[in-house]
Amino acid sequence: MQILKHKTNIDFIGKRKPALFISTVLNLAILVGIAIFGFNFGVDFAGGTVVELKFDHPIRADEVRARAEKAQLHDVSVQGIGSSSDNSYLLRLGGVTQLTQESAVTAKQALEGLGGVTAFHADVQNGLINFRTAKKVDPDKVKEVVSGAGTGVKEVRSLGTAQGGGEDYQVVASGMADRITSAMAKGLAKPDFRVQRIDYVGPQVGNQLRNKGIAALLYAMLAILVYVAFRFDFKFGPGALLAMVHDVIMVSGYYLVSRREFNLTSIAVLLTITGYSINDTIVIYDRIREEMARYKGKPLPEIINIAVNDTLSRTILTSGVTALSLIGLLIFGVGEIWDFAMAMLVGIVVGTYSSVYIASPLTIWLDERAARKKAHGSAMKVRPA
Amino acid sequence: MGRGNWGRWVIILAVALGSVWYLIPTYYSFFVLPKAQRNDEKVLQARLPRWAPSARHRLNLGLDLQGGIHMVMRVDTQTALQKRVERRGLQIVNYLRDQHIEGVTYAANPEKLELTLKAPDAATLDKVEKELKGFEDFTRVGRAPDALTYQLKDTQVSRFREDAVDQAMLVIRRRIDKWGVAEVDVRKMGTDSIQISLPGQQDPEEAKKLIGTTAQLEFRMVDEKSNHFSQLVAGHPPPADSGIRLVRTSGYEQLEGKDREQLLAYARQNVADNRQVLLQCVTAQAQGATCDSYLAYLVDKAVPLTGESLAGADASRSQTTNDFEVNLSFDTQGGVEFGKLTGDNVGRYMAIVLDDNVNSAPRINERIPNGRARITMGRGAGKTDEQAYQEAKNLELVLRAGALPAPVTVGEIRQVGASLGDELVRKGSLAAIVGLALVVAFMAVYYRKSGLIADVALILNGILILAGLALFNATLTLPGIAGFVLTLGIAVDANVLINERVREELAAGKSPRAAVDQGYDRAFWTIFDAHVTTLIAGFILLSTGTGPVRGFATSLIIGLVASLFTSIVVTRAITTYFVHGRGAQVSV
Repeated sequence: MQILKHKTNIDFIGKRKPALFISTVLNLAILVGIAIFGFNFGVDFAGGTVVELKFDHPIRADEVRARAEKAQLHDVSVQGIGSSSDNSYLLRLGGVTQLTQESAVTAKQALEGLGGVTAFHADVQNGLINFRTAKKVDPDKVKEVVSGAGTGVKEVRSLGTAQGGGEDYQVVASGMADRITSAMAKGLAKPDFRVQRIDYVGPQVGNQLRNKGIAALLYAMLAILVYVAFRFDFKFGPGALLAMVHDVIMVSGYYLVSRREFNLTSIAVLLTITGYSINDTIVIYDRIREEMARYKGKPLPEIINIAVNDTLSRTILTSGVTALSLIGLLIFGVGEIWDFAMAMLVGIVVGTYSSVYIASPLTIWLDERAARKKAHGSAMKVRPA
Repeated sequence: MGRGNWGRWVIILAVALGSVWYLIPTYYSFFVLPKAQRNDEKVLQARLPRWAPSARHRLNLGLDLQGGIHMVMRVDTQTALQKRVERRGLQIVNYLRDQHIEGVTYAANPEKLELTLKAPDAATLDKVEKELKGFEDFTRVGRAPDALTYQLKDTQVSRFREDAVDQAMLVIRRRIDKWGVAEVDVRKMGTDSIQISLPGQQDPEEAKKLIGTTAQLEFRMVDEKSNHFSQLVAGHPPPADSGIRLVRTSGYEQLEGKDREQLLAYARQNVADNRQVLLQCVTAQAQGATCDSYLAYLVDKAVPLTGESLAGADASRSQTTNDFEVNLSFDTQGGVEFGKLTGDNVGRYMAIVLDDNVNSAPRINERIPNGRARITMGRGAGKTDEQAYQEAKNLELVLRAGALPAPVTVGEIRQVGASLGDELVRKGSLAAIVGLALVVAFMAVYYRKSGLIADVALILNGILILAGLALFNATLTLPGIAGFVLTLGIAVDANVLINERVREELAAGKSPRAAVDQGYDRAFWTIFDAHVTTLIAGFILLSTGTGPVRGFATSLIIGLVASLFTSIVVTRAITTYFVHGRGAQVSV
């Protein structure tokens, strides 16, 4: 069996200009879109709390939301996962601790009500309040007044006597997960749900993870580029790099448009795509190199056209087979894994496209430019004589 | 089959059999052992046949697949640094007084980690500046007419942070060990975070409580001369039903009571401003979990030394007296301070205080100069050797575990319920099987015999990946399953490349044998390059990723190596066998 019965002779290179134009516009649009709308960052990067609840009876998303509203939990997002018979919902809240800028102010007032507070510092990001009092205070009392002021308290730690006089204390605010589960169980004799999963990422950790992810992506591209430059002629390098950048932007575009969560798994997808999509490019480059040796003297555009046509069925097949293996994940994967498979699929498609329409034309363009420069350079040399 | 191919077949057979062999512990842990014992290496080792590989080489399920808690603790080094700067301020002022430079006061700026020393006149300030030239941890950042400003050196700050995280990690590990959770993984992450995996645990609040509580160790002097307690009992007798009574078992006054809060409230009455009442938990059994009664101590409010200066603690039995003892060692600075503290207080009692609870109050017999101290455990009241040893051990643990140098907070928690884990395993394996089946079917239909050869290689590839994961005792996560599926796709890619190439060579009129040889030779470097680039991405992911994502990177890397082997060595051997054999036909 064959997909392409006969050798194709499609003029890929001839259509490179419109293709490049469309790709450029699309990529720029995605970049602008990211700048304006931004990704729907998951808790991995944005920080926050996600709780997955499985109810023991059928319940609709708006009922879950209404329950949250009733318990004064306004900015919680509710999203069903899996099939509707699973009765599973993801509840997400922005913060990780119950300490916010506003509640820190009321907590401060409440603590000052105890008297003798000489210093107060609220670390909202980590949900910590450090304060110093002139005299020892009872930690239970601190817990009581701070909770009374609207910030759930997990623990009050005594940090000991300060050298300059006074007692130091640290108040650790409770996590948001507690708040979500208690809100959902409010007014019920027994919770009608089970907590399946809790994800809780502090904002500083989130930022760290995001920076590390971006750094990893850049390192990967650089390392792959070095390898390509080392294995092939350097003139293939820029094409390969641009193809990689194109693929990363396009897959990012998928996350942008679909509003799917952008999280650690997304970084894994992007990294894998940079590694994988270069495969097709290498297949074509290998073939170009082979044809260059065979048809010495033929112009590069023609050689590239032959190479792309000759490898076309391979290109389609390899991508197709990899895509095929992802189908199971698309059918049975829920949540994160479905997202992974879908983004991978997008990556495979755009990776295949970029090998043909981005990597190869750029190589030609650079080659032509180099040739022109050379001609120009020799002309320059001739003139003074 | 040519003679030269024998070696190749032997390798293939060895790898295939080796892989199956390495999967034996994994098979036992998943299908023979009951689920609750799955992670218990000892039980598994006992059940394995003697010829099987060690139980260590098995495939683990990640936290997302078996349920458990993954958490990242952040060490609040900033707070600890601020406290350190303040403490140093006091030490410096004391030091200056020892050098007969009087009237110097200090103020700390915790935000900038700065210390401002004020002196009554410029001459004194000059002397202060001269004295402080020898201090290595601070640099002078400014001088006003009446004050000098010093800042903690960056090198000190980073060393302190690093030490604080390392130490906190040790403490956390010990606390979890005490908890008795199997298969715990505690590792450092970045500069100020500690990553902890607790498989099977379900309650994140409980875990946070266990790990996150800061224990603070202090050494304080007992006020043994005071008659505060006896006066208190004479002046305000305790309620009759409280059971509070005055005791003198240790050579100084103490109060004993059954109820913690009641005793504390009573003993704290009329305490002088520079004194403080702390309680000790008394248990009848050496390892009792609950306190049978409490003893109140009257101690100085000032904290001359904290656990920060403690470098180590070891429980042992003395060679000479046969008593149990705990040997302490302090860092250089702490040693000097400890020497001074003990020298000034010979004959007094020093309370070792952990989290405001007195652990013990040994008597200072002599000045202890060189930063090494020994606490000898008493042998009174018919204690058995075992009890005495246990006490020494407990004290050692308190001293070591207590020295948590900085408060820790929870940066990240991911908890997966066990039932969700089971569901994900089921769905994940189903997804992998469906993906595999689709690819196998496609190859068989599209390439017929060559496709079947590729399918054999593909299944071998799957076994190789699992065996590789087991060999390295790797963890299979949900993204790991996705990585497994993806690498199967990539492995087939390689065979597609080869088969397409062989087809081209056949179309160019080559003999089947030459077409196969050329197809493999020409495709080799293409396949190699393609695998290397993806491997690069995989390794970078492995080195930067955390948790489940690392699982993805692991299966991706092992899968790519396996794919190189199967597509280049295995399929070639099989294809060559058919081409060189009867009829010399190739079906692509």
